[in-house]
Amino acid sequence: MMDTEKFLKSAEELLSPLGLPLSRSASFRLDAIVTTDTLVPAAKALMDGKWGYLSAITGLDIPAPAPAEGETPGENHMEVLYQFCNGPAVTTLRITVPYSKPVVPSICGIIPMATLYEREIIEMFGITMEGTPNTDKLLLPDDWPDGVFPLRKEFTGFGTKPAGVEGA
Amino acid sequence: MEAQTTTGKFVVPIGPQHPALKEPGHFEFTVDGEIVTGASVRLGFVHRGIEKGAEARNWVQNMYMVERVCGICSHVHATAYALGVEQLAGVTAPPRAQAIRELVAELERVHSHMLWLGVAAHEGGFDTLFMYSWRDRETVMDLLEAICGNRVHYSVNLLGGVKYDIDDKLADQLRKGVDFLEGRCEHYMKVVTTDETFVGRTKNVGKMSKEEAYELGSVGPTARASGVDRDIRIDAPYVSYEQFPVKLITDDAGDLQARFVVRIKELYESFRLIREILDHMPEGELTVKVPRRIPAGEAISRVEAPRGELLYFLKSNGTDIPDRVKIRTPSLCNWSSVVNYAVGHKLADMPMLLAGIDPCFSCNDRSVTIHRGGNVQNDWSWEQLRQYGIAYYR
Amino acid sequence: MNTPLSLLYLLIFPGGLFLIAMGLVYEWADRKLVAQFQNRIGPRWFQPLADVIKLLAKEEIIPAGVSSGLFTALPIVAVAAALTAALNVPMFGLRPAYSFSGDLIVAMYLLSLMTLCTGLAGANTNDRFSLIGATRTLTQLFSYEAPFMLALLGPAIMAGSWNISEINAYAESHLWMVVTQPIGALVAIIGLMGKLELPPFDAPEAETEIVSGALTEYSGRGLALFHIGKDIELVIGLTMVSAFYFGGLSNPIYFIVKTVVLLLITAGLQSLFARLRIDQTVGMWWRLGALLALLQLLVLIVFKGFGL
Repeated sequence: MMDTEKFLKSAEELLSPLGLPLSRSASFRLDAIVTTDTLVPAAKALMDGKWGYLSAITGLDIPAPAPAEGETPGENHMEVLYQFCNGPAVTTLRITVPYSKPVVPSICGIIPMATLYEREIIEMFGITMEGTPNTDKLLLPDDWPDGVFPLRKEFTGFGTKPAGVEGA
Repeated sequence: MEAQTTTGKFVVPIGPQHPALKEPGHFEFTVDGEIVTGASVRLGFVHRGIEKGAEARNWVQNMYMVERVCGICSHVHATAYALGVEQLAGVTAPPRAQAIRELVAELERVHSHMLWLGVAAHEGGFDTLFMYSWRDRETVMDLLEAICGNRVHYSVNLLGGVKYDIDDKLADQLRKGVDFLEGRCEHYMKVVTTDETFVGRTKNVGKMSKEEAYELGSVGPTARASGVDRDIRIDAPYVSYEQFPVKLITDDAGDLQARFVVRIKELYESFRLIREILDHMPEGELTVKVPRRIPAGEAISRVEAPRGELLYFLKSNGTDIPDRVKIRTPSLCNWSSVVNYAVGHKLADMPMLLAGIDPCFSCNDRSVTIHRGGNVQNDWSWEQLRQYGIAYYR
Repeated sequence: MNTPLSLLYLLIFPGGLFLIAMGLVYEWADRKLVAQFQNRIGPRWFQPLADVIKLLAKEEIIPAGVSSGLFTALPIVAVAAALTAALNVPMFGLRPAYSFSGDLIVAMYLLSLMTLCTGLAGANTNDRFSLIGATRTLTQLFSYEAPFMLALLGPAIMAGSWNISEINAYAESHLWMVVTQPIGALVAIIGLMGKLELPPFDAPEAETEIVSGALTEYSGRGLALFHIGKDIELVIGLTMVSAFYFGGLSNPIYFIVKTVVLLLITAGLQSLFARLRIDQTVGMWWRLGALLALLQLLVLIVFKGFGL
C-alpha cells in the first residue's frame, strides 16, 4: 500500500499552506478540520492539485450530550464531511456548524457536480449552503413541511397521530 | 396538461410514470423541435428513509436492511456495510468468505449488466436484444438461486463472513453456466458493435470526454467508457480482489456505444474471475465472531458496484446501534453527467442516454415515510396498511 | 349495381366485418411471429379481438381543451378511409368490389388519409407527447409516401394501367415482378412497414420516448377504431404488395399463402433492427428509398421505351 501513503502525503502538502489541523484517522484516511472560511480554499487546493474527486458529502448531527444537573445544556452541532477519494486514499474535510447558525459555503463554484450532494444535505439536515445554484427539492416530497429535517436526530417521524388533519 | 409554458419553452416531462422508466424518477427536457436544450432531474419518488431507519436498528438488523437499498445490486451494499462494520470492530473475515463475497459480487455484476443491456436495448427500440439478453440472464439468476436460494436479495453476507459455502457440485454448475453466458455475450458484443441500426443509435451519441467525466465526477462503467481509469476493485482492492485481481477495462470513445462495449467487456472479465475463484478457492472457515456492540469510531468503506463506486460512511457510538449510516450510491454521481450531456441531443436519444448510465432510482432514494398530501399520519402498522388497502379498493 | 348487393359489399364482404376480422387475424399473426422471433410465447389467437372488445366497452375520455368534434370524428374517418380503400383491391384473391381506371391512385390516397388522421388526432390533442408524435407521424408520412408510391408505380407502368385489378391480372400472367423488379419490391415492403409504423420505423409511437405518440390521449372507442384502421391498412398493404410483386392474387389460397409469407418477412425485419430515430428514418427514405425507386422506374421506362 505504498500508493496510499504517497497520495495522503500529497494531500497533506496541498492542504498544509492553509494551516489546517490534520489527522490520520485510519491508515488510508486524512482528516482536515476546516471552517467556513477555509472550506472553499481547501477544496480548491485539492481540485487544483488534481487530487482525486469529490466522492460524497456526508452530514452528521451531533446533539449535545444531555446536561448534568444544574448545567446549561450545550449547543447542538452538525458536521459536514466532504470526502475526496484518490485511488485508495480518502481525504475528509470536516466542518462543524452550530444549530443556531447552520451555514456552510457552497463548493459548487469549484465542483459544479456537488450540487446534487449539497441539495441532499440541505433537505436532510437543514444546513444552508451559501451560494449553491439550486435549492429545489431533490429527494423529499414537494409538500414536505418546512423546517423538518429528517436526518437530524430530533426527528423521529411525525408521530402516529395525524397532525393537523380534520376528523382524525 | 399545458403544452406551452409561460416562458414559451416546450417542456417534455419524462416520469415519474413513463414507459421509458422502469422506476420512478422525473426529468424535464426542454426541447426545440426534436433537439433537447435543457434538462433537469427530480428524484425521491422511491425514497424510503433507509439512512434514518438504520439509526433505529442494530448493526445486525441493518445488514439486512441495507441489502434492500437496491434490488439489482443488493450484494454490494451488504458487502460495503459488512466491510465497514468489520473495519470498526477490528476483525477481518476469513479468506474463503472473502472469496465467496467476490464470487457473488461478480455474479451479481453479470446479472446487473445483462439486465442493463436488455433495458438499454429496449429504450432504443431493439426489443429482440432485450428479450434475448433477459432470457440468458435467467441463467445467472438460477446460479445465484443455487448458491443462496434467492434470486434477488442473496443475503450471502454476515457480519464477519458469509452464510453459504460453495461445494464441488455447485462449482461445476457455476462453471457450466458461465461458459454458456460467455458464448452468449460474445454474440451480444457482435450485435452492439456491428448491427447497423443499433450502431446508428449509439455511435457518437452522448459523447463525454475524459475531462468532462473527471469534472462531473462520473463513476463506474460510465466513467470508464470515457477513458477514466477509476475502478475501486483495482484502486483500493477489498474482499479478495487482491488475490484475484481484475483487469481495468476502459474505452476512449466516450459515447453510448463505448458504454455498451465496456460493460460487455466487464462481463468477460467477470466470467474469467468467477472461474479463477472457483479453481483457487481458499480453504477454511466461513465466519469470525463480531461483537454485538461495535467500538466507537468512523469507517469509510468503498466497493465497486455494477454501476460504479459505492461509498458507505459508518459512525458508531459504541452501542449496538449505529449513530449514522451514510450511503452514497453510484447513480447519484452519474446524474450530473446525464444532465450535462443530454443537451444538444435529440429527444429520441434521451431514453437511451438515461439508460446509458444504468440509473438505479431506488439506490438514490432512500427515504422516509409514507407521506400523503397534508400531514397525514405516517408510521403505519402492517394492519393499518392492510385496512387502508381494503378500504381503498372497496 | 343494385343496392342490397352494394350494401353487402360494403358491410359484410369484402369490406366491413370481414375485413375487420381479417385485420385482427393478421395483427395476431404479426404479433405472434414477432414474439416467436424474439423467443417469447406471444398472444393467443383471440387477443386482438379481445383488445378491441375491451376498448369498445371502455369509457372514451375526451381531454379538456381539444375540439371534441374533431377528436371523435378522426378515428371514424380513418377507419372509413381504410375500408373504402379495401373496395379497390383484390381482397381475398377475388375481383375487387369496385374497380375503375385510376383506382390505384385513389387507394393510395385513401391509405394516406389514415395516417393523416392519426397525425391530426395528435395535433388536435393538447398534449406534449401527442404533439411530438403528430409531428413525427406527419414527417414520416411525407418521407415514405413518395418511395412507396414510386415502388407501386413500377408494376403499373409494366402493366400499362392505373387499375389495380388490371395490374393484378398482368402480374398473374407474367413472371413475378419481385424477380424482374427486385429493387421496387424491396422499397415496397420497407415502405409498407414505414407506412404502418412498424418497428424499426416506429419513431412516431416510440413508447420509450413519447409514450404512445399521437394517440396518447385516445382511449376507448377512438383508440379501438384507430387500431382497427391500422389492422385493415396492414391487410390492404400486404394485399397490394403481393398482388403487384408476387405474381398477383387470383384465388383465396394464393392470397393467404402470399400475404402470410410477406407477413413473415416483415415480422422478421421488425425483430431484426433497433428503432430508427425520425431523422434517420427520413434520411434513409430520401437518400436511399426514393433514389432506388426512381432508379427502378428509370430502368422500367427505358425498358418500355425501347419496347423490349
